[in-house]
Amino acid sequence: MHELSIASYLVESVVEQAQQIRAERVLAINLLIGDRAGIVDDSLRFSFELLAADTLVAGAALNIRRSPMRFRCDECHGEYIPRDGEFNCPDCTRIGQLIDDGATLQIESIEVET
Amino acid sequence: MTIQHIKIAKQLLANNDEAAIRNRERIEAAGVLAINVIAGPGAGKTSLIIKTLQALQSSAGHPGVARARVGVIEGDIAGIIDTQKVLAAGADDAVQINTGGNCHLEAGMIQQALDDLDLERLDIIFVENVGNLVCPTHWALGEQLKLCLLSAAEGHDKPLKYPEIFAVSDVIVLNKIDLIELVDFERDAFYASVRALNQRAPIFEVSCRTGTGIADWADWVLNQWTLRGAMVENSR
Repeated sequence: MHELSIASYLVESVVEQAQQIRAERVLAINLLIGDRAGIVDDSLRFSFELLAADTLVAGAALNIRRSPMRFRCDECHGEYIPRDGEFNCPDCTRIGQLIDDGATLQIESIEVET
Repeated sequence: MTIQHIKIAKQLLANNDEAAIRNRERIEAAGVLAINVIAGPGAGKTSLIIKTLQALQSSAGHPGVARARVGVIEGDIAGIIDTQKVLAAGADDAVQINTGGNCHLEAGMIQQALDDLDLERLDIIFVENVGNLVCPTHWALGEQLKLCLLSAAEGHDKPLKYPEIFAVSDVIVLNKIDLIELVDFERDAFYASVRALNQRAPIFEVSCRTGTGIADWADWVLNQWTLRGAMVENSR
């Protein structure tokens, strides 16, 4: 539900970056977004297109890579991605310890025309 | 024409994070402890702030502290109801932020609110975020402590559904503990899932209605403030 706010920071941040390197335009933005960050891709794209109009990032493709929430199991000594609605290890069913909360919101890279 | 691939690896909300750092510098320079209160609607954010500020203002048992001065920044989509409530309950200062539909507070909004508060005349500030367990989690405001407030009536499964806020919180308060028997809240399941996400945050069980647990919680808040060396600033 907060994709519009996220998109406004995204546009502002990438425009700043593109201006610094004197890019003609931005062709693509590669994002890393956690599965648990509460972001709906379509909603983010819709908000982004709306805000990107008439800026350096207009028409840029949004490539979204997802990162899962991850736990470590002290019994099985391995990492696991929990199923929705539980934190249990799929092998031994014990609850492990959080390694990554899956809430990443990161701009990994951009592709620009200079 | 050349096409370049440029590695950035930057937090998407970096501009907010930078504004939050500036807010925090102002807050710390004034010897103030700021707590970002995050909860769903109806968990009891305003009630907890009121009960805590009243307990803090009496500051019993803390030698050298006559009375902690408490300010509140109220974030709501619209209206000034909560600001009127906390002022009527004795808050030393309060400002209202209306987000106009936005589902969370951002650092820029807090910057303006700090302009409207007399920071030098406050010791502790509660920032009541918009009622929502998802969005406010992403936006740092400049607070030293993030508080996740949950009420027993919401159910023990909330950490499973909203893991991030429980993972990043510095302290967790479970309110409406007087209802725990009535609402089938499974305490063990709640603690197990919270501890899987976060082993360091203390958990306080309180009831704003009966007053259970408020004194211990308020003591902890006051200790956090004194630990930050703010006590020497309290020179009244």
